[in-house]
Amino acid sequence: MSKRPTYEPHESPSLTPEVRVDLPREASEQERLQLDRPAFRDWLELRVGWYGFVRKNLDEPMPPGVGWWQTLGNLLLTLLMFQFVTGIALAMFYSASPETAHASVKHITFNVTLGSFVRGLHVWGSTLIVVVMVMHTLRVFFWGSYKKPRELTWVVGVLIFQVILGFSFTGYLLPWDQKAYWATVVGTRIAATVPFVGDSLLLLVRGGPEVGALTLTRFYAAHVMLLPAALMGLVAIHLYLVRRHHIAGPVLPQRGRPVPFYPNQLFKDAVVLLVGVGMLIYMAIGFPPALEGIADPTGTDFSPRPEWYFLGLYELLKIMPAGYEMLATVVIPGLISIGMLFLPWLDRSDSRHPARRQWIITSGMAVILLIGLMTLKGILETPPPHEVPGETPEVVAAK
Amino acid sequence: MSEHQPLLDPIDPQRRKVMGVIVGVINLGLIGAIVGPVVGFAASPMKSKMKETWVELMDEHLIAPGEIKEVNFSMRVVDGYHEVERKYTVFLRRSEEGVLCLDPACTHLGCRVEYQSDRRRFICPCHGGVFDEEGRVKSGPPPKPMDRHPVKIEGGKIWISREV
Repeated sequence: MSKRPTYEPHESPSLTPEVRVDLPREASEQERLQLDRPAFRDWLELRVGWYGFVRKNLDEPMPPGVGWWQTLGNLLLTLLMFQFVTGIALAMFYSASPETAHASVKHITFNVTLGSFVRGLHVWGSTLIVVVMVMHTLRVFFWGSYKKPRELTWVVGVLIFQVILGFSFTGYLLPWDQKAYWATVVGTRIAATVPFVGDSLLLLVRGGPEVGALTLTRFYAAHVMLLPAALMGLVAIHLYLVRRHHIAGPVLPQRGRPVPFYPNQLFKDAVVLLVGVGMLIYMAIGFPPALEGIADPTGTDFSPRPEWYFLGLYELLKIMPAGYEMLATVVIPGLISIGMLFLPWLDRSDSRHPARRQWIITSGMAVILLIGLMTLKGILETPPPHEVPGETPEVVAAK
Repeated sequence: MSEHQPLLDPIDPQRRKVMGVIVGVINLGLIGAIVGPVVGFAASPMKSKMKETWVELMDEHLIAPGEIKEVNFSMRVVDGYHEVERKYTVFLRRSEEGVLCLDPACTHLGCRVEYQSDRRRFICPCHGGVFDEEGRVKSGPPPKPMDRHPVKIEGGKIWISREV
């Protein structure tokens, strides 16, 4: 009987993809192949390699200086899993047709046991995801972590960013209330401002000339099938690349040797998850999700405003002079997206230090300031209340 | 197995190349077989056309000269897989030339405009578009005047034609 192999963490893990930490174990696996009655753990290890995989991830080398800022990716992943699980639960009660969508969401919110809570987790989760995603992106931007060899990790991250905004846009329509309906009327009309193909694009997005039954089924299919499939693929690639190249570490390399992910960094991750998910639960309970009156193309009892994180775009549309709306709908968002996608190649400097990447940091700050100010303007400028006699919003209050 | 012996049996490079090309062609065929029909199916609404339909709105004498009236009505329309009664709104304005019918969708991004009688203006609550009583742009981002629907008066009734 051979000696049970043990991993020795002081044998510092290398920063190359070929992590050496499994070396002592491989030899002993050959020996254990010969055993007639292996332990279940060894039996499984031989067939699945699970323990090796887990141990490899727990021993992921963390460069010195990695800390709280590097916990955001894990929080984002956890919040996405919450969306995934609550989304499956909501789909069990939701019905995607103009006749039934509003009633089914009303039923979920007010009749189903824990319905308001589960829907609250999903609604507030979407907001929290956008906040954490922006923080995660800004951290990578300011730390210059997208530089060689991590360019594609960044590109895939930007694609994930866009898929998540797609989730928000398609999910917003599903309750089929006034807010949902009008935000989608306006949001899809943006497609019509694209030169040459705008009108065809509008029909494609709406599934017809007007926002109706086919818009709802289209958005539902995208929200629960197309986008989740895309997101899972992209997240898998993102995680694979993060593991392949390891975490970039601070802008200026710090003294000391890398330490394994477990326990120090995993502990920090767990604390952040506790705070993040705690906040989500608090919001789901403290601020139950609202539902306005059913979508009504003739109604004026609504404030046609998008979700808060699209308010920047909404305000930009307000200030564009007549005939230039394409600037706000296509050109500016398009340039920002392309700029983000190609950032690793726009930023040619060798250094990751912000002071040595002045033009890219300045441009980035300008874009962040523009989006931030526009969003703030949108949040502050709540529209005047609608004072049409006899028409009051049928906002269903949580009882 | 000696150290110099290759792990795999060597295959004739020409054969490898030909079979690789065949596999590539088959894969392209498979992609086409799934993408083609699905794109054709999902994009089929792009061919949908609207058609003009006349609808009776109200008695002619119910609107005074110079007055602007907001009229709600419904029409049976085909909405994807079913026919539904869909509600619409138009603004009617009576002038010396006759009756004008304005569509309430803002020409900027389609929000529903409201008529403010004290200012005699149509106001868009979304991005601040302002139109006069004839539907002409007075300020804000709308690129063109409000859409008009054809109007006819038959037997003392106002009819409008709307694309549905």
